Amino acid sequence: MKIVKLKKTNLFLFLEIISKEADFWAPVKKSPDKHIFEVIEDFSKINLDYTRTILPPKKIMLPSDFNMFQASNTKYTPDFSHVSKKIIFGIHPCDIHALVIMDKFYSHEYNDPYYQKARDNTLILGHSCWPDEYCMCKSTHTHVVKEGYDLFFTDLEDTYVVWIGSSRGDDLIRLKPELFDEDLTDKDIQNFSQRREERDKAFTNDINFEAMPDLMELKYQNLLWDKLGEACLACGSCTNVCPTCNCYNVEDKPILGKNCSNISRCWDSCTLENYSGVAGGENFREKRSDRLKLFYTHKLQSYISKYGKPACVGCGRCVVTCPVDINVYTVSKSLDNEEVDTFWNRLSKEVTK
Amino acid sequence: MNKDKLKIGIYELTGCAGCALLITDCEMELIDIFNAADIQSFLMVKSDNIEGELDIALVEGSVTTENEIEELKDIRERAKVVVAFGLCASVGGIQARFGNKEWKENYQKIYGDMEMTHTKPVQSKPIDAYIDVDLYLPGCPVGKEQFLHFFTRVLKGAPPEKYPRPVCVTCKYNENDCLLNKGIPCLGPLTADGCGSICPNHNLPCTGCWGPAEGANPTSEYFLLKEKGFDIEAIKKRMSNYSGTKLAEFFEQFKKESK
Amino acid sequence: MKKISVDHLARVEGNGGISATIDGKIVSDVKFSIYEGPRLIEKLTIGRTPEEDVSMSPRICAICSVSHKNAVLRAMENALDVKVSPKSYLLRELMHMGEFIESHSLHTFYLALPDFLGFPNAIAMASKYEFEVKIALEMKHFGNHIMKTINGRYIHGENAVIGGFGKYPAREELLQIKTRAIHFMPFVFKTVNLFCGIDYPDCPDAPTLYACCEPGDNKFGFWGDEILLSTGKTFHRDDYKKLTNEFVVSHSFAKHSLYQDKPYSVGALARIVNLGERLEGEAGKMYKKYYSSKWKSNPFFHNAARSLEILYSFERIPELVDEILKLKEDKSIVDYSAENGKGTGLVEAPRGLLIHHHEITDKLVSQVDIITPTAQNAEDIERYCHVAAQKLLDEGKEDQIRDRMDIIVRAFDPCISCSAHMAEVRNAPKNNWKMQLEEVTQKGDPAFIGVGNPTLSDDGAGIKLARELKNAGIQDVLLESEIEQDEDLWINDSDRPLIFLDAVDFNEDPGKVTLLPLHLILNNTSLSHRLLPTVSGLINYSKMKNTYVLGIQPDSLQKGNQLSAPVEKALNEIREQLTNIREQ
Ligand code: SF4
Ligand code: SF4
Ligand code: SF4
Ligand code: SF4
Ligand code: SF4
Repeated sequence: MKIVKLKKTNLFLFLEIISKEADFWAPVKKSPDKHIFEVIEDFSKINLDYTRTILPPKKIMLPSDFNMFQASNTKYTPDFSHVSKKIIFGIHPCDIHALVIMDKFYSHEYNDPYYQKARDNTLILGHSCWPDEYCMCKSTHTHVVKEGYDLFFTDLEDTYVVWIGSSRGDDLIRLKPELFDEDLTDKDIQNFSQRREERDKAFTNDINFEAMPDLMELKYQNLLWDKLGEACLACGSCTNVCPTCNCYNVEDKPILGKNCSNISRCWDSCTLENYSGVAGGENFREKRSDRLKLFYTHKLQSYISKYGKPACVGCGRCVVTCPVDINVYTVSKSLDNEEVDTFWNRLSKEVTK
Repeated sequence: MNKDKLKIGIYELTGCAGCALLITDCEMELIDIFNAADIQSFLMVKSDNIEGELDIALVEGSVTTENEIEELKDIRERAKVVVAFGLCASVGGIQARFGNKEWKENYQKIYGDMEMTHTKPVQSKPIDAYIDVDLYLPGCPVGKEQFLHFFTRVLKGAPPEKYPRPVCVTCKYNENDCLLNKGIPCLGPLTADGCGSICPNHNLPCTGCWGPAEGANPTSEYFLLKEKGFDIEAIKKRMSNYSGTKLAEFFEQFKKESK
Repeated sequence: MKKISVDHLARVEGNGGISATIDGKIVSDVKFSIYEGPRLIEKLTIGRTPEEDVSMSPRICAICSVSHKNAVLRAMENALDVKVSPKSYLLRELMHMGEFIESHSLHTFYLALPDFLGFPNAIAMASKYEFEVKIALEMKHFGNHIMKTINGRYIHGENAVIGGFGKYPAREELLQIKTRAIHFMPFVFKTVNLFCGIDYPDCPDAPTLYACCEPGDNKFGFWGDEILLSTGKTFHRDDYKKLTNEFVVSHSFAKHSLYQDKPYSVGALARIVNLGERLEGEAGKMYKKYYSSKWKSNPFFHNAARSLEILYSFERIPELVDEILKLKEDKSIVDYSAENGKGTGLVEAPRGLLIHHHEITDKLVSQVDIITPTAQNAEDIERYCHVAAQKLLDEGKEDQIRDRMDIIVRAFDPCISCSAHMAEVRNAPKNNWKMQLEEVTQKGDPAFIGVGNPTLSDDGAGIKLARELKNAGIQDVLLESEIEQDEDLWINDSDRPLIFLDAVDFNEDPGKVTLLPLHLILNNTSLSHRLLPTVSGLINYSKMKNTYVLGIQPDSLQKGNQLSAPVEKALNEIREQLTNIREQ
């Protein structure tokens, strides 16, 4: 692995050079305190002072709703218009980990060409971050990255320490090598380590993810799930914002006046009523509590059992998004017998009153 | 007219005519629509209407007069498939929020005691209060994309599967900063999806104009808003504005409570 | 019984019908009915927040939803003392232009033009007029596009809110609107030439009064704070009730409205009649080229007026976009703190003057009054149809009545939903008056006034009949001579029907009895002049709907006090009928 240095003042220059033939995505401000990834034309709009975007970068790989192919009785035309050369800049460690998990999902049983092609055409330029009170990535061990990126920028006051994670990343540096300095001074290394230590201390959350598979098993019939089910709005927000949620729904959209259809695909959510509905009107997860169990089995149990790590990367999006406080933090704490002050807890008291 | 084409009738009961008008708002598709189906009856756009057997009847508007009840029953008899077209037909529309007693009082305030000679008014109800409805397409008005998708699927003989979801889903697709979390009483979680989350896209809370989403959880949102400091009467009113007769069960619980 | 009717008016927005009843040589009744049921919109928002009201009340009508939005916003902002930013103000005008383009192009090309070109609908017209149909669709689409860009969607957009907008449209979107507007210009000129050049059917001379908003500054425009009448009189918005007095009629869920007890017209023609002089630019040139005094008394010219307004709107859009883009970025919503207030908002909807009055008490809506254009036009629609139907009947063209009424109604582009589908012609049965008399007496015990000249033989029939009724002990029977000229007739304050007894020359067989609502007689130039002196000043127009004339066809009007035999026979029948009814 190669490490180089870039003066902050040269950043835009570098971005300019590398973004010529690609859609350049980076975080921008959406509202006073929320950020989103957007295609950037004017670099000054980039805002790196963010913790998490509303939607994770999965939207850049697979848009929430896109067309897969056009089909008629005789013809099938695949549509890969969502695939283009892309660079995502400013992506944080948790989200990089999530992409690695997605890579596994989409290549595990069968290859999803729509994901693969998009992913193969995307360069990941990570960026360091500072945790807020909702970040849980230290507990999920996703706060540092070892793979899954092409370049990774660590912010050290007036310079970036840039880790080169792939040969494609290296090619980018070679487009303008004079901007980079290969010699890191002792001071640089010291700054880097110090930052790392301080950051580690800044995490306020600690969740015992290792214990979760067993607790999930033991508490599968626990009242907790009823309480959660009672409060859950079945709004689907948690799964949409979660970087490792990947369910989708396929729909036939016939074209008026032509004898063919577009077959499109959109994000689905296990929290929605008909998610587990099958043909014939049967629904084996009619209860909201059952559907939440599915979500948390996925995040806290099954993936750990299979790959030794949770399918949660600790990004904290569910924490800031769920209107009724149902999230990885409150659920795992409750499974671990900790009392949490949440709307769903208060609601169950209110309703039984 | 081509015999292979599906015979379609578009009818308006009481509403603002917005849902029928929306069909004319598919300007670029209008000629294709008329070519693809045999539009037998559509008063808003044509005068040579034929009232006979139909494959599909789209019914807009709520039922508010005795004549409309008759007309509706007649449509049901003639049509293989009846579609509740829009919020008024699906839930009764904004005009269906009065209880019977309240409706009578308010009716009197406007029309007094005058006996109507052309028909007798009745309290506004969705069309499924009188006939079996095969498909629902809510929205005030119905969304253009939603209608075109529905229409082309129906023409293919495969109406869209029911997959209820709330506005929040599209709202998240559109990556809006959630208003509810900011303390603004957004009804997105309770409201059927289909509009493209227009209001939150404009920083405005959803007021519920697609009607209640199936599988939604009004009780939770009610207490959530209450906890956020909203007056319970105000919440109830807000929830009732566009839900017609469909949240009756939910509201029933409060009546019991207050007794 | 014969009734000519268009039961379901086609090619209008909503569900209504018009019917005319023919009693021999007389069109004895014309009713513009709204079949749509009552929605009680004005009561729905009571107790709601102003914001909820702004969202809900425009649901009255889809095709004018932007007009309703602007009207309710103007009312609310007047009530709550909110002054929106100049940018919001101009954006609202821009979205209003969108609605005019959408609505007018839909009406002129799709709903009206087939009438004048002889097609059942626009889609059928497309085979011969492909270009027009296609470009007009694009024009309509453009209007919709403007509304969507600014207000969030085509129909019932929600972006315009009290204080401004949830979110301003982007600069690029506005620039695109400007460019597209300019590209449409050649077709817009074609539109004006087409609709101003049509040889519209004659309409019997029936001048009316026109009302619209006074935009101020001697400008043409679609809103203002005053109402302007074609007489030159103006009213401040708060005094809107001086123009409109809404009342309920039994054949419609739409209220009707009268000005000083007379029907009046609103809409495109009203605006062009009242304000056309003020049109500038190309619209001004076209106005000068085509406008003539003919327009004033023939509702078909509404279509010509609409085309001028399309041109006006297309000229205004680029100006508006430029003005908007010159303004600095500001906060899109202005906050307000008022908790009480009442306010009226006036705008011109494509179909005419639209009035919203909303009152707020302790942050909640306490009173709503909405007066829609079609409700105001309803009386005039009935009047024009009656006049036209009578004329066709006089000319022996009864078969044309139905179609003519259909086209007249459509000329007003009635928006049924907001007033509440269409034409019917009915022949009255023989001795129809007996049935009618029963119907009238069911509304209440009638009072009678006998009129006529007893010294001119049959002309004294009314007087004689009145005397006999009096003698038979029937109460509330008056003779013409017993009424003082300036007497404030008690009958005006009563719900009871009033029946004039009179000899009326209907050009029928002697002794034929006809019962007619008084207002229809007043529409009928050949009948009205005799009755008018007696009744004008005595009876309110709205009361006229509940006032009837029981007319007996005279045989002889020679000097003398003897009644002719057929008339004498008629009197006996009437007396008998009345006593029968009484006994029941
Ligand atoms: S479960 Fe929550 S914290 Fe974990 S990855 Fe998903 S959104 Fe992030
Ligand atoms: S858990 Fe929360 S975010 Fe997820 S569906 Fe339920 S309410 Fe919505
Ligand atoms: S659902 Fe809404 S848009 Fe459709 S007719 Fe009813 S009020 Fe109008
Ligand atoms: S803003 Fe409203 S619609 Fe959007 S996610 Fe939040 S609650 Fe749902
Ligand atoms: S009120 Fe809700 S359902 Fe209606 S347009 Fe707005 S966001 Fe959509």
